[in-house]
Amino acid sequence: MNLRSILSVGPTLWGIGIFLVILGGSAPWIPGFLLTLVTGLLIWATLAYSLNLITGLVGYVSFGHVVFMAFGGYALAFGVGALNLHPVVGVALGAAVGLALALGIGLVTLRFRGVYFAIATLVIAVAALYIVLDIEELGDGKGIILNPAVEPLSVFYTILVTLAIEVGVTYAITHGRIGYGIRSIKGDEDAANTLGINAARIKLFVYALSGLFAGAAGGVYAWNVSGAFPYSSFSLTFSLQMLAMIVIGGMGTLLGPLIGTVAVYLPSQVFLTIPLLSGLQFTVIGLVVIIIALFVPGGIVGTLRKYIPEFRGMLE
Amino acid sequence: MTRVLEVSQVHKYFGGVRAVQGVSLAVQEGNVIGLIGPNGSGKSTLLNLIAGVMKPTKGRISLDGQRIDGWPAHRIVEQGIAKTHQIPKPFLAMTCRENVAVAAMFGSNKQKDQSEALETAGRVLTLVGLEGKADSISSNLTVQERKRLEFARVLGTGARILLLDEIFAGLSPEELRDAIGMFTQVQKEVGFGALVVEHVMRAVLTVSGHVVVIEEGTKIADGSPREVVENPAVIEAYLGAEAVHAPT
Amino acid sequence: MADAALFLSDLALGVLLGCVFAVIAHGLNLIWGVAKVVNVAHGEFIMLGAYGAYFLNLWFGFNPLLSIPFDAAIGLGVGVLFYFGFLHRELRGKESMDLQSEMVTLVSTFGLSLVLINTAQKLWTPDNVGIPWSPGYVVFGPVQLPLGGLYVAIVSVSIIALSHVFLSKTYLGNAIRAHSQDIPAAQLVGINPTITASIGTAVGFGITMVGGALLTVWLPTGIFPAMGNLYAPISFVIVVLGGPGKMWGSLVGGLTLGVIINVGQLFLGNNLSLAEAAAFLILIPVLLLRPEGILR
Ligand SMILES: Nc1ncnc2c1ncn2[C@@H]1O[C@H](COP(=O)(O)OP(=O)(O)OP(=O)(O)O)[C@@H](O)[C@H]1O
Ligand SMILES: [Mg+2]
Repeated sequence: MNLRSILSVGPTLWGIGIFLVILGGSAPWIPGFLLTLVTGLLIWATLAYSLNLITGLVGYVSFGHVVFMAFGGYALAFGVGALNLHPVVGVALGAAVGLALALGIGLVTLRFRGVYFAIATLVIAVAALYIVLDIEELGDGKGIILNPAVEPLSVFYTILVTLAIEVGVTYAITHGRIGYGIRSIKGDEDAANTLGINAARIKLFVYALSGLFAGAAGGVYAWNVSGAFPYSSFSLTFSLQMLAMIVIGGMGTLLGPLIGTVAVYLPSQVFLTIPLLSGLQFTVIGLVVIIIALFVPGGIVGTLRKYIPEFRGMLE
Repeated sequence: MTRVLEVSQVHKYFGGVRAVQGVSLAVQEGNVIGLIGPNGSGKSTLLNLIAGVMKPTKGRISLDGQRIDGWPAHRIVEQGIAKTHQIPKPFLAMTCRENVAVAAMFGSNKQKDQSEALETAGRVLTLVGLEGKADSISSNLTVQERKRLEFARVLGTGARILLLDEIFAGLSPEELRDAIGMFTQVQKEVGFGALVVEHVMRAVLTVSGHVVVIEEGTKIADGSPREVVENPAVIEAYLGAEAVHAPT
Repeated sequence: MADAALFLSDLALGVLLGCVFAVIAHGLNLIWGVAKVVNVAHGEFIMLGAYGAYFLNLWFGFNPLLSIPFDAAIGLGVGVLFYFGFLHRELRGKESMDLQSEMVTLVSTFGLSLVLINTAQKLWTPDNVGIPWSPGYVVFGPVQLPLGGLYVAIVSVSIIALSHVFLSKTYLGNAIRAHSQDIPAAQLVGINPTITASIGTAVGFGITMVGGALLTVWLPTGIFPAMGNLYAPISFVIVVLGGPGKMWGSLVGGLTLGVIINVGQLFLGNNLSLAEAAAFLILIPVLLLRPEGILR
């Protein structure tokens, strides 16, 4: 890559990049409670981008994405708790576990299309919980508790860098030759195969990346909450929330997952603080998902592109 | 070197349905072979077997003497054999140019450079007469245009042997004349070999030098277009037994 | 000897459990077969059926079996609403379901499931409730079976048998089957796709809610808003095992799961959670080897 091509990445990537840099630069001055909020937002954004890779770009709806996150969290908790690793190494371990798991699961489940893939991934996530409940090293159903000696800024910078890499990777694989391959698979996998695209390999590659980033995010999540616990780690709510974020933001776009995360995460946090509304955030999110799925394909980013011509060249 | 595709004694069973039962034929680069037969006789299935979309139950398929049966579709394309879909399957979210560029990037030419592939796509679209639609999103195309796009895509792969599934179906007489003209010219220019599945008799008989007829998965006739249309077995397969014996 | 008795009684319990699993999956099976749609919110309608039985018991003292007609009626109504709200736009004028529409229904019904779970939690609290109904036990040699479970199994198998008869013997049933096999051909012989698909969906919802009511007999304290998160995956696995659209498939899939969970423990060191994992994961080899389901 030369300087020209780095500079010509387009306004969306520039925008996200500048946003992340400003966030990173101002972090030391952000008050504690706000930093917690922003860290949570970045963890969720990393998860949303990870699901966006396989579901948004390739078109394979995964209901079981939480497995990568959960095992990433367990990897960190085990690494930090039992092996005394530095948490950042623990996050890398989480990423590695997510990657390995995605390769294994993907090798089998990516043969199934449409609802069959969705169901297979869901079922694997449910079964994984039952298996973890039974593994002694992983706390035998009680989970792993870490010392809560968390340095908020290190957590923040770890997830910030992870997200930045992930957005860059998303950009890289949506542009260029492999990007055409991915779009073709999403468009019509049979046609893609008969034009010389090795769909199985591309799908596995993207799924592996997706597992890697979800694993890393899961690691950061566990670090942030000082532990990994089976019922909360494997809660399907995580899978569902990630899906809601990309649906609302705009599936398969570069900006959508970030917008979707903001649109889902911030209001949820506000709802939580209002007793009357607390608990209703998912009802509202669900309604919005229904409306967008049925009437507004493309989500927020897709709609902006559709109705505001100036955005068409800018947003991706 | 001219390339030769050989199909010998190929079978395909779907459970109890014997879609293809021991068909043999050969296609050489530069020659156009017609493949005709009544509905459900196994034509599309045969093309799918050659293209690697499905694996044959029995039999062998080879290219220049090398066995390729059972290979995945994308490897067959790399070897220079590409197939159109009877029901067109364009990438609906892409423009026509991008559709063909994908073929150029991943087909047997493997043009790694995007802008080169897009240029190739433009040339191919001009060949098939879709240059006016190059930058329209393919979901806006009519069925006929989609068929042309299918043809453009297999050309874009750089394949030397094309498997064409009913690309002339559903045209009005004038459109058919144009399409046949376009096809013959492109064939001359590019010099590919083709196996052309077609119901429209006029098209098959005009474009192909040799015709294979299958019925219920077996080959019932094989010869020049003229020989084939005069063959009683073929007439019977198409028109029923009465037609053969009917007084003329 | 004791082992044999244990095995027999686990097997018998597995079969009973399998029957109720079959009926909760059956509605999904019907909708999947007829409308070619997977309702991700399926578990939530099981939950609603269970709450239906719970409130009928709380207010009128009905036992779960008595709540069947009420749940069925509500289910039929909800099914029609669901069809026109979520499916009609996607199915209208289509000859078959494409991947795009499949995606839309997956995502929109997933949104519905979020709405239903969380509204139910707000209305009824996230806590467990149950129906105190236990008609006793019946003893066959070494095997002791709960009578409630036995009644439920009988009702479940009858529902599946009835739906089979409905689809194969009645005019409407035949129309639904024709529609599910070949929409253009069905239309040619005068079958209205909207009417058949909406009725098929409605019947599916009726059965699903009845399934929820029947399930409560097995759950003395297991009714809660998020219960669908367990029973939806169970239903998905069952339908895939049996083959979508095959009426007896629900029973085959249900029994397979019920028996694996109950008998599997014996072979997995009395470990329930591994047996449950195995029951879910059986889906994968079946999908790989027999994508049309176990039944031919
Ligand atoms: N995937 C499949 N599964 C089961 N049966 C199939 C499958 N594909 C084709 N068949 C059956 O194989 C037979 C041959 O079908 P094929 O599509 O090859 O015929 P065709 O000659 O191309 O017909 P048409 O002229 O109508 O296109 C038919 O009986 C068809 O129903
Ligand atoms: Mg055909």
